[in-house]
Parts: sequence; structure tokens; C-alpha cells
Amino acid sequence: MLKKYCYIVIASFLVLAACSQGLDQLDPNRVTTENFYTNAAELTSGVNAIYASIQGNGLVAREYWFLHDLRSDDVLPGGGQLETPRNQLLIGSNDPGNSVTNTVWQTSYRTIHRANVVVDKAPKATLEDGLKKRLVAEAKFWRAWSYFELVTLWGGVPLYTEFVKTPAGTAARATADAVYQQIIIDLKAAQADLPLRHEGANAGRVTSGSATSLLGKVYMHRNDYASARTELQKVISSGAYRLVDNYIDNFLEETELNSESVIEIGYSKIGDVNWDGDGNGAGNNETTPRSQEYGAVGWRNCIPSDRLINEFETIRRGDTKDDPRYQMSFYFLGDRFNNDKNTLTDGMVQGNTSRVDGATAKVSWRKYSAMYKTADTYYTSGINIRLMRYSEVLLMAAECEIEAGNLAGAVALMNQVRSRTSVAMPAYPTTKFPTGTKDQVFAALVHEKSVELGGEWIRNRDILRWRAQRKLTREPFSYFTANKHELLPLPQQEIDNSDKIDQKDQNPGY
Amino acid sequence: MKMKKRLLNLFVLSTVLLWQTGLYAQEVTLARRGDKVSERTMQVRKQLTEVIQDLKKRFGMDFIYENNVLEGKKVFYLSQKEENFEKVLSDILSSVNLSYKKIDQRVYAIIPQVIEKKTANLSDKALQLIQNPKEDLFQPVFSFETFASRLVINTLEKRISGRIISSEDQQGLPGVSILVKGTNTGTVTDADGKYSINVPDNGATLVFSYVGYTSQEIAIGANSILDVVMNPDVRSLEQIVVVGYGTQKREAITGAISTVSAKEISALPVPSIASALQGRVAGVTVTNNGAPGESPIVRIRGVGSISYASNPLYVIDGFPTGDLNSFDTRDIESVEVLRDASAASIYGSRASNGVILITTKKGKRNSKLSINVDSYWGTQTAWKQLDLLNRDQYVSYATALLTNANNALPPRFSNLNQPIFAGSSQTFAQTNTDWQAAMFRSAAIRQHTISLSGGNEKSRFFASGGYFKQDGIMKGTGYERGNFRINSDHQISKRITFGQNITIAYDSRFNENNPGGRTQIQNMMRMTPYIPVEDPNKLGGYGGAEGADASDPQNPVRAAMQDISNTQRLKLLGNAYVEVEIAKWLRYKFTGGLDYVSARNYSFAPLYNEGFNSRNPATIGDNRDLYFSPIFTNQLTFEKTFGKHTISALAVAERQQFRYIGLGTGGNFAANTIREMSGTTNQTASGSRSEELLTSYLGRINYDYAGKYLISASIRRDGSSKFAPGNKWGNFPSVSAGWRINQEAFMKDISQISELKLRASYGTTGFNGIGNYAWQVAISPNAFPILGGSPALGAYFDRLGNTDLKWEKTTMANIGMDLGLFENKITLAAEYYIRTTNDLILAQPVANSLGYAQAPIVNIGSMENRGLELVLGYNNKFGDLTFNASGNISFINNKVLSLATESSSLFSGANADFGGFDITRTVVGEPIQHFYGWKVASIFQSQAEIDAAPKQANAKPGDIRFVDSNGDGNITANDRMQLGSFLPKFTYGANFSLNYKGFDLTVFLQGVSGNQIYNGTKVTGQGMLRLFNSQTDVLNAWTPSNTSTNVPRAVNGDPNQNSRTSDRFLENGSYLRVKNFVLGYAVPSSALNSFTKGSLQSARIYFSAQNLLTITKYTGYDPEIGTRFNNTLSNGIDYGQFPQARTIMVGVQLGF
Repeated sequence: MLKKYCYIVIASFLVLAACSQGLDQLDPNRVTTENFYTNAAELTSGVNAIYASIQGNGLVAREYWFLHDLRSDDVLPGGGQLETPRNQLLIGSNDPGNSVTNTVWQTSYRTIHRANVVVDKAPKATLEDGLKKRLVAEAKFWRAWSYFELVTLWGGVPLYTEFVKTPAGTAARATADAVYQQIIIDLKAAQADLPLRHEGANAGRVTSGSATSLLGKVYMHRNDYASARTELQKVISSGAYRLVDNYIDNFLEETELNSESVIEIGYSKIGDVNWDGDGNGAGNNETTPRSQEYGAVGWRNCIPSDRLINEFETIRRGDTKDDPRYQMSFYFLGDRFNNDKNTLTDGMVQGNTSRVDGATAKVSWRKYSAMYKTADTYYTSGINIRLMRYSEVLLMAAECEIEAGNLAGAVALMNQVRSRTSVAMPAYPTTKFPTGTKDQVFAALVHEKSVELGGEWIRNRDILRWRAQRKLTREPFSYFTANKHELLPLPQQEIDNSDKIDQKDQNPGY
Repeated sequence: MKMKKRLLNLFVLSTVLLWQTGLYAQEVTLARRGDKVSERTMQVRKQLTEVIQDLKKRFGMDFIYENNVLEGKKVFYLSQKEENFEKVLSDILSSVNLSYKKIDQRVYAIIPQVIEKKTANLSDKALQLIQNPKEDLFQPVFSFETFASRLVINTLEKRISGRIISSEDQQGLPGVSILVKGTNTGTVTDADGKYSINVPDNGATLVFSYVGYTSQEIAIGANSILDVVMNPDVRSLEQIVVVGYGTQKREAITGAISTVSAKEISALPVPSIASALQGRVAGVTVTNNGAPGESPIVRIRGVGSISYASNPLYVIDGFPTGDLNSFDTRDIESVEVLRDASAASIYGSRASNGVILITTKKGKRNSKLSINVDSYWGTQTAWKQLDLLNRDQYVSYATALLTNANNALPPRFSNLNQPIFAGSSQTFAQTNTDWQAAMFRSAAIRQHTISLSGGNEKSRFFASGGYFKQDGIMKGTGYERGNFRINSDHQISKRITFGQNITIAYDSRFNENNPGGRTQIQNMMRMTPYIPVEDPNKLGGYGGAEGADASDPQNPVRAAMQDISNTQRLKLLGNAYVEVEIAKWLRYKFTGGLDYVSARNYSFAPLYNEGFNSRNPATIGDNRDLYFSPIFTNQLTFEKTFGKHTISALAVAERQQFRYIGLGTGGNFAANTIREMSGTTNQTASGSRSEELLTSYLGRINYDYAGKYLISASIRRDGSSKFAPGNKWGNFPSVSAGWRINQEAFMKDISQISELKLRASYGTTGFNGIGNYAWQVAISPNAFPILGGSPALGAYFDRLGNTDLKWEKTTMANIGMDLGLFENKITLAAEYYIRTTNDLILAQPVANSLGYAQAPIVNIGSMENRGLELVLGYNNKFGDLTFNASGNISFINNKVLSLATESSSLFSGANADFGGFDITRTVVGEPIQHFYGWKVASIFQSQAEIDAAPKQANAKPGDIRFVDSNGDGNITANDRMQLGSFLPKFTYGANFSLNYKGFDLTVFLQGVSGNQIYNGTKVTGQGMLRLFNSQTDVLNAWTPSNTSTNVPRAVNGDPNQNSRTSDRFLENGSYLRVKNFVLGYAVPSSALNSFTKGSLQSARIYFSAQNLLTITKYTGYDPEIGTRFNNTLSNGIDYGQFPQARTIMVGVQLGF
């Protein structure tokens, strides 16, 4: 009897011991990194993830344009509802805890990480060589784009050219020069390996034109206008781009990826905004809140600044023609919207007013507003955001011509922009904008850039560059403190969590 | 102690029933056996009466017996033979067909033994108690009535009768011994707790005693009816304590184990056992967290892990599980909290944060069917509201705020006389909505439980059904549960026992909505007072801020009433075992169990449009989760006594699997009519599966020499699939020792000391509460950029893996003392411990520039908790008044010893609504996650003062001047400093109860002291970041004419960052709470009998109140702050968490 029980006990212990296998569990839901990025589809999805990050809420869907607009003199607060961290950027009181700047920093680096992964993993992947080159070039382009954001906003930043393998892999601040060198290396590589155009399912990916245009812009920030001129001329002579006839087509959903688009980020009217900062998550939220944040009947968090409104040429102020871009950039009370079915009335528009020609008026953004086709007071749009248009390339090229002393060439390029079918402004020189001297041509350029590209996240960086290159005739910001506001503060979290960056490494003034 | 009582009940009841059915047969047997005995008595040397006197002296025991039982019997007896007392007694008595019954620690009744009966399930802790020593496998059967009637000394003068009930459940207590003081005359109560006894009519005193209960002495008065209410002895040393994989007598315990009784557990109207433990056990800190149905935060001996919820392991009837919400507290027999490593390390890799063992109720063997009904009804209210601005105050505050920042005033302010909506006769100027009143409500709470139990000689069962429903004090929240349980065990053959426990529960929870990512408290505080709650002209029907209001708060009532977030679960938790007695000293037990949860998370967010806030399209989420965890345990238990040496040993092999399967779907609707997935657009679906395996081997040995010296050692070896190859196995040993000083000869004379024991233990436990695949880095294929006009698939990884990931190990040294004075009227238990956690598993925050969104999981750092715990008890009786008091207090000191992170500091708690800066920091040498920020110096009164002060950009008169702590002349992030800790210096609980005749009164106090709270509601209410409704304090903001204030100037945008993390928002979080107040009345059994003719056995009604009074300096809603973001580094930050309610209720308890 006793023996029998003993056998049972021993047997059951043994059975249990035999069942001890199974301790080696691998995540059944996902592939591990070692087994991924091996073929065309996987490497492509790695590149797509970069676009998702750029497209996400932490960058182009929201914080990116907020940051650039609020640091430009293109916008003013729409009212007291502008959230505090944004308002602080507008009044120059932002500090190392600012959530907008910190989100842009963080998401830029996450983008860089995704790009680094593709660049690192591609050599071992098995796929057609042309495609592999193109994918790596796309990754390098976005890595360069992200570092360009970082270096222009923060100065020298930690530089990573491969993805970080251990928590101890934190980098110290590199010099701004080193960051620029890397940007130029990456853009040159991208320029070589990217195609001139993408079609079909690849439409919206960056092209060699994107890389060359950005490289030109980078050289301008490096004060190397000669190199910039070379690059920008390449874009112009490539014949790949053409200004669209209708200026407003650059801000509508129906006319996306048109002939003027150089770098463009895709959105679609699917679901709501993907509020995940990195653009991750199920793909049913593909809109941007841009229309809602700025819209006349939306939150109207930012409105066009009086400076910008009054920059446009108008017969009222003695110009020969009202600039058509004025009406295409802004909504005024009395304007028709929602496919001309509604009229904008005072009761619909909340918040601050503007001073236009000495009178009070409620002016709101029309660029990127979906109000042209909706009357909803909550509407997040599927309008693609154009990060760079051909008209900017032309105006950048014009600035390079000015620097090269070729004033006539500069004026010709500017006039190309002014002669767009729907704009058709009188060619320079005009009464107000003579072109006799370099300074006069430059003043015309500054004006032309303002009215052509106002509220398109370009002015902030132009001011930074012009200020640094002592081209500003007047400091645009009353809050500006020299040796402080040129750069954003490093996020406090970066300083706190990095052992390579100390409080003393903080940018001056913070 | 209740378990003990129940076991005795079982014993007594079984004997009664047996006697009732077999009285005649029994006498026959006696007669027949008598012959045999006489043969044996030929050899005996001594009279049994003499032997008993000898035993009395030798062991210091008292005996109750009827004289004629002992008369004429002779036994073989060697007085020099050294043996366990009960063994000696049993040997002696069984030779003459007698048996004993243990009445009290030192009192034994000698009774005739008749039917030979096999012991039932030896694992049952009740039986273990009775069957001690194990060699005694015979249960005596006798008649109480006969016994009582014959236990009479010659001079019988008066007959006293009555009923004895337990104060715990008002049920009759069988087996209580009643002794005429100073004599051997006594009796025992019957199955209903009734007794009668003849006493000398000369002012005799009756002594009522029962194991686990406080003895009472009552002088006989004129009355011949004497009903007695017995009160549990809070710390009876006789108590049987559940330890991991078995039970032990309290007197033999060498670790730090606390027991909480069923009564304490069910005293509070809370759905979770964890909430019920608050304030009951020294060393256990419970913080209620959130709306009804949310799990509270439970910490045993301080914070263990840094990045993970350091919740204890819950083991229900031997089944380790993590989730307690589906568990009815009224099914619980007892709860044991294993606090030190020696007690907990038997659970190895999951025991670092302590273990809570839960034992559910069992039926009574050989008892008639009993039915108990327990119901209460109550109402809950918010006990505190804040002073928020009314309409006129809001307009004047907003005007100042916006004007000071040169912002335009909201257009609404100039035409408040417009109707609140088209067609309404009411204007904004006539509207003054109290949003707190609109959101808070009187919420109902009720619970009904019916239980059935009973059993015969072979089988017994306990079954219960319960229903609990609690509405939240904020609209839109609530919790509901229905549960059913059946526990049974059966003696299949002489050596084989089978038993099972199973519970099935359904619960449904309506979660608090967080519209706009903010808590409802935040939304409530920010909502504009001139906006009406409802607006029939708006989509959805609720009012809200529009463009004209220049403020965009969310209407909290709309979100509460329309946005649905519902979790429904069906849980089945059960196990079954077979136990085989291989030999008297060796038992084998096989247990199989299953934890199965099927859950549905359903959310529906309808279309609405309040104005500034709206939603289009409607979104629906419907997720199903399956959790499946089978466990198999093989257990071998050895117990044997050799002379004065008692050894028990245990060997276990165990295997537990955990499987999760999830399926999530989502979609959109263009209308609110259909609310199920069918017909949605933009449908998404995702699924996942994960699996974990834990394989364990463990052993334990206990050695006891003469009941004085106790040594115990255990080891567990766990293998877990969660860790990287090479790090999967961990060993968790422990040792402990105890010395029962009062058992020493030199202490025997000190009668005041009834118990004195010293204990010491040392052991190692582990922590594996990380994700199943934390060491692996896997690809997330869930990014969808728009390329070529439609979503394309993007795949990425955003976390660093760690193939070195291993167990987090905690070592704990514990010394303890148990002291009982004056027959345990006064008891004291003291513990001191040092708990060190090494290889802390940490989600290490890394610099954002690394590009990883998730922190890598690494083993870095160590942390120490040192603590002192004291538990004091006092039980006494003054006439009819019984008084019990118990109190516990624990002091904990937490310190981070090392952090090998890159920067050796961890920051947490940042939120744009609360100033944007991190709020806590964790560094070496300081307590975990202390508050970290600037210190306020004063308010700048003039520009001259600003110019003279350390440079503070953007400061204007009226702004806060911060302290330049590093003296560099600039106010920067380097001036932040340690501001305080969320950890209390000490926590305490105190329970006072009085019983007087049928009345009972209980007051339970609970509190924490010495902790700080970062009052986020004050940031919301007084931060003046931008235009929202605020607390009335902002009316006292600094202005050139109101300079004597500590509220800075009102300026939109907060350019000086007056709302940055600083001690301005730090408050003392100490509180003392009247957690529970109960006044009850039990209808006397005599009255019950006459009204209900015996069908109703007991009836008690009571009134009770929870959180009746809270004494605190904290100015937010409630000082009991959980954590909002489920992050252990943001504890003690009040982002506007759901406050605790005050509850008033009435209840009835009926026994049939």
C-alpha cells in the first residue's frame, strides 16, 4: 500500500519536472529586431515608419508648425485660450520645461532613430540594389531633415549616426558644425540615390529634388550661398517642378502632390487626429488638427499678425494692385465659405481682432483651413502639409543671386513667383519695391517671401538666419534678448536624464 | 481564530450528531467494550483518578470530568516517561475507552470514547488543531446532555441555562466550556450554543471559555437564565495560522505574519479585500485609488520596485492570483499577511512585495444546514467641496487675468444678457452653474449575501451567492458584482480526501471618463460658471464653451453621461485537490487549479458638439480579453514528533502557466444610433497572445524542541519564462528561529506573562512583475503614414532590449517579539526589519536624444526600507461590558541606496497642465520619488526688488520670487531642490469595540502622518495658467493695491512660471480618519425564539458610517491620493483623482 502511494508521488513529481520545458518563450505577436529588416517589404516598412513619425502629432501634424509659427512674427494669439506653453513661445518666456519644444526635440530624435535603424540594417537586407539604395537615401534624407530642425533651433545637439544599442550610448552635444557636416553628407547621398519623381503608391516620398532643395537651404544657413546657389539651380534646371496656376491649390486637399510640391507630408480624412506623438497606432486616424487649431470658426488659437496682414500690397496703400494672395491667405468677416454656402459673421469668430489699415478687423487664417468645404466648428482635416514648395526654392535661389551680386537674376526669379497665373502681380521693380541696390532687392525678397510663404513655417528660420548674418534691418521681437533667444533651451529632461549633458551645457540665457 | 472556532464546532457538532443517531448502539458498545477493559485493568498499577492528579501537577493542566467516569478505572502509567502531554493523555485514556477534549489552553475535558472514526482531511487547519498530536486518530463521541447532567456535584442547588453566541456573527457557539469556578464541575454548549448546568446556590461564579475567545467570569445572580456573548480574543496564541502551503499554530510561528479576521474584512462596504485591509495590519499601507471598482494601492513594508506596481502577491485558497476585485469579501474566513522574508519566501520570485493569503469559508462537519443572510443599504456623498468662483467672481477674475496680459476679453462678457440658448428665457447673466453640485451626487451602495453551509461525517460544504452594487459619487461611475461560490470537501476513503473551492463572479465597472485627457475633478473645477449644464440646441444636448467664451473647458456632465467606458468580466477561480495519507506522518496532496477571466472592454464616444469641444465621428471600441492560468501542485508533507522533537517538512513541485489572448476592434459612426461594431467605418482590429510559465520547486523544514525552541528554513527555486536565457532560474532561501521564553522553567512562575516569544528571520524573495517579453526587442508594425494617398504600413522598434535582465531580489532581516500579559488581556507584538532590494528592475528613463519612446528594462540600483511595527491589544470585561481595543502603528524609512543609471536620477510627473516640469525625482541617498522643484521666497513687490534679486527672467511685480538655492545669481533649473516626500513617516490604525448585552459599538480610526502631497488641484484652481474657472483664492491675487497676499498676480500665460513645480503647491498630507463607526443590536435569542418559534436563530441590525470624520490640513478634495498615471514615480501627486466618499448605511444579519 505504502509503496504504491510512493510510486504515485514520485511519478507525479517527475511528470511535473518533465513539464518544466517551455521556459523559453518568444513574443508570438511580433518579430524580434534580429529577424526583421531582411527584405524589401521589411526595409520599406522601416522607412515608412520614418514618414509616420514625421507625420505624427509630435511633428508635422501639430507641434512642428506651432513651434515655427509661434517663433515667427507671422502669428498672434487668437485669444486667451492659447495654451500656456504655446503662449510662452509667442512672448519669449519659454523655458526648459516647455512641452512644445520638448515634444519637437523628442520626436525629431525618434525619427532619427528610425532612420538610423534603416541605414544600419540595410547592408544585411536582401533586396534589389536600386530599391535598397533608394530606401537608405530616404532614411538619410529624413535624418538630415531632422538634424537640420535640431541644429537650427538648438544649435549643436547630440549626434547619432547609428541607432543606440545600450542605455549608456548617450552622446554629448556635438558642435553645430559637426551636425551640419553630417547633414550635408546625408543630403548628398540622398541626392545621388533618390529618383526625380515618385508615382502611384510611392507618391509623397522624398525625391532627389527634395534633397537638393534642402541641401540648398542648409548651405544658406551655413552662409555658403555659392554652394546653395549651385544646388538650387540644379532643382530649377531639373524641370521637375512648376508653380501651379492657382495659388490656393497649395493648401487644398484636392490638389495635393501637385507640380509645385517639393516636400509634402500626407494626411487623409480618415478618423480623427492620431494624438500619439510618434504617429503610432491603428491606422484609422490620419488627419491633422491644423484647420481646427487656426480656423476662423474653430479654436482660432493663432491669427495672422498685423505685420503680415499689412505686408500685402494693396491699392489702399498706394500699390498698383491688390495682391490676390491676401484673400487666398486669410478669411475676413463677410467671406463665403463651405463651398460658398455660408457667410462668415462676427458671432462665429471668437477672440482677438487685428488692426488693418488702422481699423479693427477679425482676420483668420485661410491657408490650410478646411472651411472652404465645411462649416463644422470641429473639423480635423486631411489636407497634406507642404514642407517645401517650388516657390520657396525660387525665392531661396533669388537670395543666392543677391549674395552673388546678380541682382537681375534675383529679380527675375522673384518675378517668376509674382507672375503665377492667379497672382499676376506687377513685376519688380515697383514703386514701393525698387531694385536698384542690393539692399532694395533684398527688401523686395523679404517682402515677397512674407506674402508668398506667410504662415508656412519658414519665417522663423529666415529671421534666425538673417539675424545671424546681420541682414535684419529691424528686430521683429520686442522680447528678444541677445545671447538667449537665438536658440531654444535644451529640454530639462534631456539634461536630467543624460550623463553627457550637464546644466552648464544649457544654451545661454536659460 | 475563527477557523479554530469553526473546527471545534465541527468536532463538537459531529460528536453530537453521532450521538443522537447512535445513542442506543453506543451504550451497547460501551458495555461490550467494558469487558475487554477489565481484562487490561488487571495489569494496571494506578487508579485513573490518581494518574489524572499526577498529570495535573506534571503538566500544569486542569481537567473537567464527571467523577463516575474516572471511578474504578486503573491504567498503566509511568510518570517518568517524557512525552507530549496530549499523547500521554490520549494513550492513558484510550486504554480505558475514554478520550479527551481540549477546552482551553490548559483545560481538558475527559469524556467517554465510543466510535472509532477516521480523521477527515488533515490539511484542514481545523482538524490539525483538534488532531494534535496526529497520532490521535480517534474522535470521541458523547452526549453533551448526558455529560452535562452527570457532571454534577452532590450539592445541586440551582439550575442555570442560557445560550452563548459569538459577537462576530451572532451565531450560537457550540463547545464552549462552562465551569463552576474553583471546581471541576462544568459542561459544554450544544450545537446551538445552548447549555444548562446545576450550580451551588451560594454565589458561585461561572467561567466561560472557548479557544480563540476571551474567557469570561460571571457571578450567578438571581436569574436562572444567563445568555453570554463571547468576544474573539484578538491574538489568541492557540490560533491556527495559514502559512504558504500549509498551516501552523500561532505559537510555533517564527516569521512576521498577521491575521485579519472575517469580521474585520467585512466591516467596510468595499468591493475589494485590499481596501478592507486599510489600517488593519501594521506594515501594510493601503491607498484607495479612483472610482468604484478601481484597485487600491497596497504596499507591504514600503515601496519595493521603482518602476513597477509593487503590489503584493495574493494567494486565494492556495492559488496565486493577481486580481481581487471579483472576489466577495464575505466569503472570506481569514486573511494572513506574510510580511517578512521567512514567511513570504516560500512564494519565491513573486514574494518581494509581501504575500496576502486568503482562506475562504468551509462548511461545518456534522452540522445541520444553516442559512445566513447579510444585507446592507447605504448612501455615499463627497465629504468636501472646494470654493470655486461664481459667475460674477469669474468675470471679474477673467477680466484681470486677460487685461494684465493685454489679451482681448471674451466677447461674451459684453453681452451676458443674451439667452443661454436660442429660445431660452434665461440669460447668461442669470445663470450660475455649480459644477461640483452638477457632478457629485448621493450615490447608493448595497450588498446582499446569502450563504448556506452544512455537512455530515464524510462531506461538508459552504455555498454563497452575493450581489454588490456601488454607484460612484461622481456621475457616470459605478461598480456592480454578482458572485457565487461553492467549497466542499469529502472523505473518500480511510486515506483519501478530496476537496474543491470554486468561485464564479461577474462584474461590471463604469470607469471615470477623462475628457480631454483630464480628470473629471479638473474639468469640474475649470468649467465656466455662467454656462448651463444642458443646452437642447447643441448636438448632444449639453452646454459648453464657445468661441465667445475664450476658454475651452470640457463639460464634465456631458462626458459622464454620454461617454461610456465599461469593463465587464466573468471570472472563474477554482481548484480541486486529492490528498492521500501515506502514513500518519506523511501526506501527499495533488492540487489542480484554474484562473479564467473573460473580459470585455467596451467604449462608446458619441458625436456631440458643445461649441469649442466636439466629436465627429462617433467612435466605438470593443475589446475582448481572455486570461487563462492553470496551476498544478504536488505537495508532500511530513510531520512527526520524536520525544521533545517535532519536525515538519514540506516538498513541493509546482507549475503555473499564464496565457493572455486579446482581440481589439474599433470603428467610427456618423451617427449615435447604432452602438455596436457592425456597420462601423474605419474598422480596425488587432490581436495579441502572450504566455508565461513559472516552474517551481520548494522545500521547508520546521523544527520544534519542547515547544520552546523553533527553527524553520525554506528554499524555493523558480524558473520563469520572462527572463533571458541564462537568467531564468532564481533561488530564494530563508531561515528563521523563535524562542518561547515563557515556556522556560524560570518563567513559569511569572503568571503575569502569559506569552513571551522572540523571533528572528532572514530571507530572500524575488520580483518578476515585468512584461512577459521585457528582455526581447520586437518590431511594432503599427505606424501608418499616408503615402500615395492611402495608409502604408510602417514598422519600428522603440525600446532597447536587455538580455541581461534578471530577478529583482529582496533580502529582509526581521526581529520580532510577542508578549502577552495577564492571560493575554494585554498583547504586544513588535517587529523591526531591514528590507533591501537589489538588482532593482527599472524602466530606466533615458535621454530623449537616444530616440527610444519606451524606457529600457534594466537591473540597476538598490533600495532600502527600514521599519518598526507595533501592535497593541487590550481585551477586558467589566460586568456586562466587554471592551476590546487594538492599535497598530508602522514607521517606515525608505532610502535609495544606489542607482547605476547614466545620470543617477530619475524624473517623473511632468504634465503641461501642472506647469510642465517634472514633479518628482529619485536619487541615491534620498527616499524614492521625492518632490523636487523650486522653493518660493516671496512675492516681488516692486521692479526695484526684482532688479536687486537674483536674475529671474520675465518677472514683474506680483510674481513669485523663487529661492536661488545655489546662489549663482540666476534662477535656473539648478535651483530646484528636495521639497518633501509622499511617504508617511508613520501610518496607524486603531479599533475600539464595546459590547453591552445585545449592543455593540465599534470605532475604527485610520491615519497617516508626516507625508506631503503635491496638490495639483491647487495648480488647477490657483495656477492661473490661462482662462478657466478657478478657486476663490485667485480673487486675492496680488495687485498694486493688494500687496499683502501669497497669491501671485493674475496674468494670462503665466510668463514668470509662477505655476512651476514648487513648494507653493506642496501640502501636509497627514490625516486621521474615523474610517468606520458601527452601532449594532442583536436581538436576544430568547426573544427571537418566542417570536419565530426557533426558525430564526440570530438577528442583528446595525448602523454604520465610513469616513465619518477626516482631520487633515490638506486643502484638496481628499488626502488619500492614489496615482493617476499608474506610475510608481508619481505617487502623492493629486492631479484631481477621484475622492473618497463618506458612506452612511444600515444593515441586517439574519441566521436561520
